[in-house]
Amino acid sequence: MRAHGAAAALLALTSGTVLLCAALALWRRAARGIVSALRVQGFALAGTAAVLGVQLHEPLLLVTAGLLVAVKGVAIPLLFGRLVQLDPSSSETDPVVNVPASLVAAVVLTLVAFVATRPIVESVRGVPITLVPFGFATVLIGFFVLVARRKAVSQMVGLLLVDNGIGLVALLLTTGVPLLIELGGTLDVLLVVVVLRVLVTRMHAELGVFDLDSLQELRD
Amino acid sequence: MTTWLAAIALFGLAGALGGTMAPARWRVIVVSAGTGAAAISALVVSIDVLHTGRVVSIATSRLLPFTGVQLHLDPMGALFVAITAAVAVAVSVYIVGYSNHHPMTRSSACAFPIFVTSMLLIPAAWSVTTFLFGWELMAVASLVLVLTDHRRSPDVRSAAIWYAVLTQIGAASIAFALVLLAAKTGGQGFSVMAQHSAAVSPWLRGTVFMLALTGFASKAGVVPLHVWLPKAHAEAPSAVSALMSAAMVNLGIYGIVRVGDTLLGGGPAWWWIAVIVLGVASAIYGSIHAATSTDLKRLLAYSTADNIGLVMIAVGTSGLLTATGHPAYAALALFAGMFHLVNHAVFKGTLFLSAGSVQYATGTRDLDQLGGLFLRMPIASTIFAFGTVAITALPPLCGFVSEWLLLQSLLHGLSSSVTVSVVLMPLCVAALALTGGLTAAAFVKAFGVGFLGIARSLAAADAHEPPRMMNVGAGLLASLCVLFGVVPVVMVGLLNSAVREVQSGAGSTVGSRGEALAIANTRGVFDPTFIALALVTSMLVVLGARQFVSRRHAVRRAPVWGCGRELQTPRMTYTATSFAEPLQRVFDDVLQPSQDLDVSHRGESRYFVESVRFGTRGGDAFERLLYQPVFALVRAVANKARLLQNGSVHRYLAYGLGALVVVLVFAR
Repeated sequence: MRAHGAAAALLALTSGTVLLCAALALWRRAARGIVSALRVQGFALAGTAAVLGVQLHEPLLLVTAGLLVAVKGVAIPLLFGRLVQLDPSSSETDPVVNVPASLVAAVVLTLVAFVATRPIVESVRGVPITLVPFGFATVLIGFFVLVARRKAVSQMVGLLLVDNGIGLVALLLTTGVPLLIELGGTLDVLLVVVVLRVLVTRMHAELGVFDLDSLQELRD
Repeated sequence: MTTWLAAIALFGLAGALGGTMAPARWRVIVVSAGTGAAAISALVVSIDVLHTGRVVSIATSRLLPFTGVQLHLDPMGALFVAITAAVAVAVSVYIVGYSNHHPMTRSSACAFPIFVTSMLLIPAAWSVTTFLFGWELMAVASLVLVLTDHRRSPDVRSAAIWYAVLTQIGAASIAFALVLLAAKTGGQGFSVMAQHSAAVSPWLRGTVFMLALTGFASKAGVVPLHVWLPKAHAEAPSAVSALMSAAMVNLGIYGIVRVGDTLLGGGPAWWWIAVIVLGVASAIYGSIHAATSTDLKRLLAYSTADNIGLVMIAVGTSGLLTATGHPAYAALALFAGMFHLVNHAVFKGTLFLSAGSVQYATGTRDLDQLGGLFLRMPIASTIFAFGTVAITALPPLCGFVSEWLLLQSLLHGLSSSVTVSVVLMPLCVAALALTGGLTAAAFVKAFGVGFLGIARSLAAADAHEPPRMMNVGAGLLASLCVLFGVVPVVMVGLLNSAVREVQSGAGSTVGSRGEALAIANTRGVFDPTFIALALVTSMLVVLGARQFVSRRHAVRRAPVWGCGRELQTPRMTYTATSFAEPLQRVFDDVLQPSQDLDVSHRGESRYFVESVRFGTRGGDAFERLLYQPVFALVRAVANKARLLQNGSVHRYLAYGLGALVVVLVFAR
């Protein structure tokens, strides 16, 4: 029982960290800070997988955890690091929604996530399931980052937050997605980031900015 | 016979594939051979079905996923197949000559056999999916063909868009009607639907019929859904216009008869009154426009709306008389309508193909620029003349026979004791008379101004006979005009067989007594053959008398209608515009033409006119009054939608987030 209690607490800690990092990404203005929030979130997601793997004696989940560390904890933040170095001005100086209002919105979205997942949480027993709202909230906050932030780096981070949230929900609901699917999904995200990086670099070369609003001119 | 039915599809497909892949030199030969073979197989199977009354059917589950293909050719369908096949044979011959000057493009080579094949198979389709599949195939293939000359002028593209939109509205309406009926009757096979449709509530049956009527009327070019017709028929290549006008629009009538009579098993009087009203409107509107039009192909297109209106009147009268309890007269009306449909296909095919020859020879279809073609291209002009006599319902050609029968059936409708028919029938007779007169005016103008008189432009003066194959194709149909006009008994058995399919128990409506037609329950006979013989004999007598007289006197030759003038220039003669001007004045309210008069003066003086330029353009009142407001509305709504869509990525993302939250909260 004690071991179970400890595992449950660890699981709550790692999942909570995932959500907290999403809120951090919304709070920080500096590009470097946002990226480091993403890095910590990647490690927390991997931690969730590792705890689940130990608890359920699933060695494949440990492999998944290793994969997540490699891709989401190391590779993707590295790619971002290069992008940030390219343009130091990519910090959110003038976001669409200011930081305090964004944090209030994040609280509301978290509440929505809890309300929306009540049927799932109540229908099934077990610690991992009760943590599903954390994943949902991460998805919604990630989406909100897409809406409320201007810079290309923040946009990409928002997309990855959504992906991490979905990953967390999948881990908790199914207690371990088959490795093959996890592998496919993760590498897919890596590819998306690489492609987006290329596009953003090109955009910077063409327009000299990392600001998505400048794309609006294309319509006219 | 099932083999022949399958052969239609196989030959058509072979034509399409071969035509797409063949080198440009052989393309038209392959297409013509494939289409012609498909049409001849269709002719064989349809004549057999009409002759023996035995249904031919094929059902296979391999071709379309889930639903399979069901073909079932009954005599009513076979009549439509036979009409299309006859026109298609002639057009297949015609395109060989036509392509001398206008080489067939790869896309038309693919679309042409598909268009013909789908038209040949639609009347045999016996389930909702098969029917709609064929219908869409026909719509798409014909759209590609209308667009053939899209590089020539923006008018072609605009015509194609009009056609595409109206045909899609029609197809959606038909699909909705058939699906609704299939859902209520519990099966998508036509047999099942026909069996159980009587149990469906009258309100729903009415809805199904009205939806189907809307859809099929748009294909048939019935007012007010006719707007695409003059545009697409005028801008498409003539071979395609001939097929569209002589075969495709018929399928609209087929659909109305099939849904109204076979699937729904007849209906209350108000359905058929709606059909009659639409028919009268398009007969009158079409003939007024035809009478004032100066574009040869536009004139023919409006005259299609006119003739299809007459057929609609016949079909509506037939349904109305059935609903009010006069099945025998109902069968006569349907007989007359179907005969007119056959004749319309034959003479309109002739006219469109000859109009194509004119365009081929002169490069224009503006009647004001033509004139004097009879001397320069006598064979093509004679063929056009045959079509003209047939369409103006003059004996001894085919239009006369069917219009006479139509008149008879309307007069018989008068003897019915129901108030509605007593009021409606005289109106229909009046409409028939008015359109007859206007059609005569239209074609006196078309032939008199276009082919007789003196050439009004260099193009007309340089005209020459088109390639022989074009004349052969058009001549095939012209000879049918003569055949059906002089010995209509050849069609009596076939038409009776088709009519019996719908008006079961009516017996033989029109019998044959020798070579004369005898209407059941009446004493007199109607003998077109005798009329033809009398006409030819009297003409021979007149010619002989002239020969006899001229032998004694010296012959003096002078210009026709020269009025004693020494010199006659084109500017002194009637043009199509001036010929139609009095009619245009009479129908000013309907036509609402836009006229511009441009007078320029010499120097400072207002009293010496240097030149006067007068132009008149006929628009379409329905286009302006019915369609333009709809366009304006759509544009206004679209402008409002711009508020939602301002190009900001963040706003679009916010819509996504909002939708996600709403779904999460409310759709748990």
